[in-house]
This record gives sequence, C-alpha cells and structure tokens, in this order.
Amino acid sequence: MAEPPMLDCPPESRTLLDASFAEAQAGSPLAIDEKMVSLFDEVRVPLLRYLSAFPLAIPDAEDVIQETFLALFQQLQRGKSHHYVRGWLFRAAHNLAIKKAVRSRSDIERTGSLIAVEELVIDPALNPEDQFAFNQTQKRLMSVVRALPQQQRWCLYLRAEGLRYREIAEVLDMSLGAVSLSLERSLAHIARAAQR
Amino acid sequence: MSQEFHLSDQELLMAVDGELSDHAAERVQSHLAACWACRARKQEIETTIGEFMRFQRESFNHRFPSPEGPRALLRAQMAQLASVQANPWASWFRFISQRLSWAAVAGVLILAGVTYLGFRTWQQSSARLIAVTTPNPALTPGATVLVDQREICMETGVKNKDVPVALRKRVFDEYGIRSADPRAYEVDYLITPALGGADDIHNLWPESNRAAVWNAEVKDSLEDHLRDLVCDGRLDLATAQREIATNWIEAYKKYFHTDRPVTGLRN
Repeated sequence: MAEPPMLDCPPESRTLLDASFAEAQAGSPLAIDEKMVSLFDEVRVPLLRYLSAFPLAIPDAEDVIQETFLALFQQLQRGKSHHYVRGWLFRAAHNLAIKKAVRSRSDIERTGSLIAVEELVIDPALNPEDQFAFNQTQKRLMSVVRALPQQQRWCLYLRAEGLRYREIAEVLDMSLGAVSLSLERSLAHIARAAQR
Repeated sequence: MSQEFHLSDQELLMAVDGELSDHAAERVQSHLAACWACRARKQEIETTIGEFMRFQRESFNHRFPSPEGPRALLRAQMAQLASVQANPWASWFRFISQRLSWAAVAGVLILAGVTYLGFRTWQQSSARLIAVTTPNPALTPGATVLVDQREICMETGVKNKDVPVALRKRVFDEYGIRSADPRAYEVDYLITPALGGADDIHNLWPESNRAAVWNAEVKDSLEDHLRDLVCDGRLDLATAQREIATNWIEAYKKYFHTDRPVTGLRN
C-alpha cells in the first residue's frame, strides 16, 4: 500500500495523544511500543465502527487495523513526523479497507458475514411495546444507512467518530463543500426513516 | 432582520457542527434568535444526529471481539518488526532487493534457499555443537520464589507465563543472539514456575526449540515428570530445583534412565 502522507491539520484539531506520541518518539523504542498499544486500545473500536461501513467481515477489519498500526509503527521508527495520528490512522485504514474489500468480496458473498450486524438489540429498560417500536426504528435506520451511497456512508461514519469536516475531506479526498453536502443528505434520509 | 428567507439545512448542520467561519456563525446566530422555523429545523437536525448515534452505538456495543488477542498480536508483530530493523542484514537485503531486478532477486533467493537447506542439514547433523542446549551458569544460575511442596502441588495446570518482549530481548542480548532467528529459540525458565521458578532474568535462557536434540520440548517433559515426583512425595522440591538448575540434561538422563530423549512423552 502506498502510505498516506501525514495529515497537516490545524493545531486545534490535534489531540493530547499526538503530543504524547511526540514525547515517546523522542524517547526509547519501548516508549513507542507502549504508546502504540495505548493508542490501539483507544482507537481500535472507533476504527472497527468506521470499517463497518465497508463490506468486510470482522476478522478482515481486524487485519486492516493491524496493518494500519504496523504501518504507523514503521513510520515512527523511521522518525517520520506525526502531526495528526488519529486522522492518519483513519486514512490509512480507509485505503487498506478498500483493497481488502475488493479481495474479500467473494468471501462475503459466500458467507454473508457482514460486520454490520443484523441482530436486534434487547434493552432491558424498555417494555415490550417500546422494545418493538425501538427495533422497528433500528431496522429502518439500518436499511437507510446501508442504502446510502458509499461516499455518503463513509462521511457519516467518520463524522460520527468525531472527525472534523477538514479531516474527513483529507481522508476521503473530497472538498469541504462536498463533505458538508454529503452529511446533510445522509441526515435527511435518516430523518425521514426515523419519522416514518 | 427580514423573515423572508430561511437558513439552508446545510448551513444549519454546519452551525451545529461548529464548521462555520466566525462571521457566518454570527449571522446564523442572529437569524436563529429571530426565526422560530429555523430553530425548530436546527433542533430536528440535532435529533436526527442523536437517532443515528443511538442506532450506531446500540448496533455495535459489545459486538466486537475482546481486545486482548488483537493487542497481543500487535505487540508480537511490532517486536518482530523491531528485531528485523535491528538486524543489519535485513536492511542490506532491503537495499539490494530495491535495486536489483526481480530476476536477479529470484536468483539470489534460490541461491540463498539452497545455501540455507545445506546449512540446516549441517546444523541438524551437528546440533550439539551450535545449539544452546544448556544455559550459561554465570548468566542463568536459576532463581526460585519462596514456596513449599504443598503450595506447588495445590495449583494444577500451571503453565509458563509468556516472557515480556523487553525481558526476552535482554536475554537474547546477554547470550549474544542478535542476528539469529528468534523463533528458533524459546526463552524458557530454567526452573519452571511449576516447580517454584521465579520470573527473573537469572532464571531465563534462550533454549533451542528446533535444531537441538535436547530441546525445549524435551525439557518440558522433564519438568512434568519432576513435578509429578515432587507431588507424589517421591522427590524433595529443593532437590528437584537444584538438579534441574545444575544440569537439566543430566537430570533427564537420571530420572528417565536413558541417554537419549524419549519421544512422545507429552500430549
């Protein structure tokens, strides 16, 4: 995979995590290892949720995350800069997931084991009627989200993980205006499904 | 302010997301202060975001596998990458392979493969000479924790813990193993924790698990046997610890009554 360039985001979008990474990189190799593991613990689930926007089974998504972190580890070992680690991870995972999805499409078609789960949630706090209504809404939302054009779904999922418009534009190689329009359209679809 | 126009959904969404410029944000705020319709629309957008986030969190909460396995895999892969980078031959190989044509690389690989196979054949025939079969007593004299026979035997199914990567690296460094394939060795406890051995570098050594006749698997079977003897009351714990730490191969010969490892002792 061609490694994505490090994102150069405005300072206000950089996290404390990025600063602590800089300290680790200046220290011992073991410090980088520990920071990597700590970052992995923090970002693995958000990345898995984002990768659910791709036609990938969970083991494939886990593979993508491993490859993403190893790519970052190699960059850090080579002393490359890391202005915005979280955004870089999403971009690298996105690129890898596209390749993986193409390779694993036939497996998915065979097994049907999409990461986006079909099962419905049982909330013990709800009575049976409310539970039924909740499940119906969940079903409608799931079908709407799945029917969204790929780019819109990616935008929506990245925004849900807290990325700003500029960061989403970098990850997906879109303009800021396109990001904003895409989110507005996705939310309009969802609003209609939730109101039905 | 005129009420003839309303804000677009896109403007409202950008306002909700804090994505407007200062000037535009001020204009939107000023309009919202006067326009109930736009405020209601903004509220609907926020509700929709809430619905989506609830849907997404509920869909995925507790559905992903636990992080322990992936985390351990990442640690192992990073350690492997670090050891490859620390090996100058690996970087030399990278340098060459980037510059030679694929055909030349294939030729080099075939030659390397033939050489390697020859080396393995030679290595297996003279395993006693090159493999680390017994620890260096100066580096690995053995170390134990304060525990008696009763406590040892109360615990069943005690397995050796994984040695942390950093400690494993120190053991390899101590034994001067810098460029060898680390997978050819198991960093093993000289006195197994199942016999009261301690998690201490003085109790750890790189034991050959592939090339040598007297390898890690053979030692494991000795450890099992000694523990059985100790727990049956047929052998004193201190004696078992001392014998395995002094020369585990001699201990094996003594307790199995053989000069050669017996295969198939462990499941």
